[in-house]
Amino acid sequence: MSTFTRRELLRLSGVTLASGLVLAACGKQAGVVDDNAITILGQSPVTTPLTDAEVTDAVLLRTAASLEYNAIETYATALDLGVFTGDLRKVAEIAKRFSADHSEHADAVNSLAVKLGAKEYRCGNTRISESYILPALKLITADDNPNQAMDTVALAHAVENLAAQTYQGVVALLTDPMLRADAIRIGQQEARHAAILAQILNPGLKNIGPTSDAKTGKPNIAAVPSAFGSLANIQLSIGKPKPDGTRTTLILETPSLNSLVYDFVACKA
Amino acid sequence: MLSPSDIKLLAFAQTLELTTRDIYAAAVSRRSLSDDESALLEQFHAHHVAYQQALNGLLSKNATNKRDDAIYASFSAKLSEAQNIWIALLEIENIMIASHTKAIETIESAKAAALVASIITVEARHAAILASQTTTNISTALDNNTSALVAS
Repeated sequence: MSTFTRRELLRLSGVTLASGLVLAACGKQAGVVDDNAITILGQSPVTTPLTDAEVTDAVLLRTAASLEYNAIETYATALDLGVFTGDLRKVAEIAKRFSADHSEHADAVNSLAVKLGAKEYRCGNTRISESYILPALKLITADDNPNQAMDTVALAHAVENLAAQTYQGVVALLTDPMLRADAIRIGQQEARHAAILAQILNPGLKNIGPTSDAKTGKPNIAAVPSAFGSLANIQLSIGKPKPDGTRTTLILETPSLNSLVYDFVACKA
Repeated sequence: MLSPSDIKLLAFAQTLELTTRDIYAAAVSRRSLSDDESALLEQFHAHHVAYQQALNGLLSKNATNKRDDAIYASFSAKLSEAQNIWIALLEIENIMIASHTKAIETIESAKAAALVASIITVEARHAAILASQTTTNISTALDNNTSALVAS
């Protein structure tokens, strides 16, 4: 036997009918064209979804190639400055050899990227250039900088360390062991470049290992600064000395997610 | 957890580092070296001690504590002539770089490969510096013409 009374049944049917009307009013009605008559507050711009940016082996190789072009461009600029004169004439020869090595490295890593189905990348890494190299060159070429030649060597040394660290760092990220070996085969030569340039900047057997500046306490440039290859940021002190003897220090870091050369990145014309 | 293949490769790398450590120890004991030269070689020796220790830590109970006596004997003979010290040490560093790089081609663990890579980049610096003590020819410092030693 039902427990509903006649009054309760009437009330229940009334509630059901009202709910249906409300839901129907909220929904889109068939055959009715939206005239955008409903006002909104503020602007609602059209959004463009971000391109998928996957860090693949090919992306890491293209990024390595971009750093090779950063190095090539750095040496080209260094030679164009014409600062390697007198005792530093041998540095010009070293710069030419190192630049040739970087061209070979760029060909090698681009070839590996192409084998993976990616496009080769034949220009410098824009972010590395804009964040580090161009500001450094601005300081180096300032009229009041008395150390243009050695500061140029210091920039090359920093770029070589950056390249060596990048190759060392990608070993842990590449998925193919053969590519890891290819990367470190190039990276070890960048480390040799850095060691040779360090000895130009801070020569002598006593300065091969880590030492620090007696005045500032900052670490001096060293050919072999640590037992294991570091992945820490690289400090580059250049430009006109300040009254306290210190100079502007730029901090260089290996390419990260915002500076990798993804598949959709193309060289700027 | 290392695979059996990785254990074999890393144990061989440790054997090579133990051998190089002892070769440096033999070189440092030579009286023909200046104080600065001895200090430099002691520093490089300490690095190879650190490398074999790092590999020892990675290998744990699978670690080896034996150098390769044949390689050691071969280089000890080269070190007997004072003028050969730098060239012999350059050669062993280049062999280390070639051998470790060859190992990375097949090491499965990315973590282990990264450790070996961090050793290679500093051994390359050692090689460049050792070369600069023997010649001004930049190619000697940059090029590695040695062959890799592989685990049997």
